[in-house]
Amino acid sequence: MKILLIEDDREAASYLIQALDEAGHVTHHASDGETGYAMASGMDYDVLIVDRMLPRRDGLSIIESLRAEGDNTPVLILSALGEVDDRVTGLRAGGDDYLTKPYAFTELLARIEVLARRSSPAEAATNYSVGGLSLDRLSRKVERDGEAILLQPREFRLLEYLMKHAGKVVTRTMLLENVWDYHFDPQTNVIDVHMSRLRSKIDKGHDNALLHTVRGAGYMIRD
Amino acid sequence: MSRFAQVWRTSTVRLTATFIAIFVVFAILLMGFIGWQSSVQIQRQQTDDIDREVRLFQRIEATQGIRALAFALNRLSSQPGPGVYYLGDAAGQYLLGNMSDVPPDVLIDPGVYSFDYDRPDPLGADAGPEPSGSRGPDGGPPPRRSGVAVVKSVELNNGMRLVVGRDVVERRGYSAIILQSFLVGVVGIILFSVVAGGVTARRVLKRIDTIRDTSTKIMSGNLSERVPITKRNDEFDGLARNLNAMLDRIEQLLQGLKEVTDNVAHDLKTPLTRLRNQAEGALRDTASPQTKEKALETVIAESDKLIQTFNALLMIARVEAGAPSGALSEIDVSAIVADVAELYTPVAEDEGIEVATDIAEGVTLKANRELIGQAMVNLLENAIKYAKPEDGSTGKIAVSLKRAGGSVAIVVADNGPGIAEADRSRVLERFVRLEKSRSEPGSGLGLALVNAVARLHGGSFRIEDNGPGVRAVLEVPGS
Repeated sequence: MKILLIEDDREAASYLIQALDEAGHVTHHASDGETGYAMASGMDYDVLIVDRMLPRRDGLSIIESLRAEGDNTPVLILSALGEVDDRVTGLRAGGDDYLTKPYAFTELLARIEVLARRSSPAEAATNYSVGGLSLDRLSRKVERDGEAILLQPREFRLLEYLMKHAGKVVTRTMLLENVWDYHFDPQTNVIDVHMSRLRSKIDKGHDNALLHTVRGAGYMIRD
Repeated sequence: MSRFAQVWRTSTVRLTATFIAIFVVFAILLMGFIGWQSSVQIQRQQTDDIDREVRLFQRIEATQGIRALAFALNRLSSQPGPGVYYLGDAAGQYLLGNMSDVPPDVLIDPGVYSFDYDRPDPLGADAGPEPSGSRGPDGGPPPRRSGVAVVKSVELNNGMRLVVGRDVVERRGYSAIILQSFLVGVVGIILFSVVAGGVTARRVLKRIDTIRDTSTKIMSGNLSERVPITKRNDEFDGLARNLNAMLDRIEQLLQGLKEVTDNVAHDLKTPLTRLRNQAEGALRDTASPQTKEKALETVIAESDKLIQTFNALLMIARVEAGAPSGALSEIDVSAIVADVAELYTPVAEDEGIEVATDIAEGVTLKANRELIGQAMVNLLENAIKYAKPEDGSTGKIAVSLKRAGGSVAIVVADNGPGIAEADRSRVLERFVRLEKSRSEPGSGLGLALVNAVARLHGGSFRIEDNGPGVRAVLEVPGS
């Protein structure tokens, strides 16, 4: 993936560039808003990572300008402002996702990989399948190897989200945000409990597990 | 002088001065009116007197003859007083009366006149009309009386001219007395008002000075100082009481701030120390790669916990500052409470705790969805942590949402060991963790946030006894 990082904190930027490089992504870096905007509009990137507070030009105004020009490159906003209204302002400006500092790198990586996928046309699929597991979004039926699995509505949405991003890591906060629409940090292992219930419904009695726990990051569904 | 200027600048004094001015103007108008009315009245009375005398004389003359008239006139003329009398023949020549001379006009035409007169004053004299220049009883020149008279002249049946009148000097004297008392009164009023106003203003200033002195002391750091309250129970005491209540609140807040600072120092420094120790351990040469890795993982876990604590603190601070994250909007509380209960039920079940819900349908509130959700999460996480009955029976949590009067009550109850009554309000403060929960994970901020969320929504949060256990009640006004 080709990523543009617009971030004025050089130390944070160099750490991110190195980590993204290790994850197999090419990262360009701009340390102020004007340069970042010029690079973003001049070149084609898969994902933009934009810090909200930047010298010379504000992160949100960069996103607004790009969107006004019809540039739909997915944008992840990084910000120290983490209140709900800050998040709403960020997303309203045209950001696709919002991550509050300080963040775990695994969280950032999982989010940009999901974002980049979002720009691909797989978005509108009406059914997903991973291995022998299939999910029909219209009839809301889930089957594994031809055998119907009964899921609670919330479990269905959980699985739907995982399958939509099959092969990608999804973090616990991503699940909480996208499946439950909450933006807080749970103190307990609340997501893990739901995942283990889901796992027992789809993987129990099968030799190859589809739902995997990615240590230190989150979950992934894959063949 | 500056003191005077200061006194003059005060609104009290200016107000007093204005009232004095208005008061004086009204006093002048009122007394002037009274004076004018009395002089009119006196004048009318004199004219009436004159008319009555004239009629009396006419009757005497008509019924008893001219002699009787002369006799009566002589008697009246010889009495001291304001009366003036003159009787002339048909040609107007003086016959008798205490005035020997009247202007010719008066005699020619009957009517009412006013003119200067000069006549002997028959003090103690029994004599009738005396010619001008005669000697008084003491041998000196006879006392004379002169002035202005109002008279009425008539023509008697026999053609004689009768002039009866009154000295107006007496009347004028009377007016002068009125004027004099009037002036004395006005001056008195002014003096009194100035003194009274000054005293009032000084007293008011003194009270204000007291308040200012107190506030100066408070500003210089002595927060325990209070504005003294008198027994008068007036507006100043009302103000002082309000100020004192405000000061109490400020002192309480500062006290809270101090406690929070102390707690932050303790609760953030401890994990920071652990963090530092772990990092140091990882750097130690003797540490094996496995130890290093484990130490680094602990470092990340510890810093995550710190970030959570920090986020919770910031959130409480922002909620308490009354800056709701995202404006309040009409939200479906039933859905939120049901959602969060559903989210946490599996967690509770894994802990062997039963969750029962009793959620009224379709309850909406003007509230912040995220904050109400977060408060619910905190309440449930708390309940799951403590719903472990001491007798070893099954833990139970009951979540309910009810409309109660004009408010909505969210109740999360457990059957755990509960909280001693004395600690129930204390656990709502930041970082307060009771002795038995020290060993449990948590930041001590959960209930403090619920409390702040309740206050932001104009509601209340309290811990009640669930006999046994905790009944946490979040009440928010609305539908």
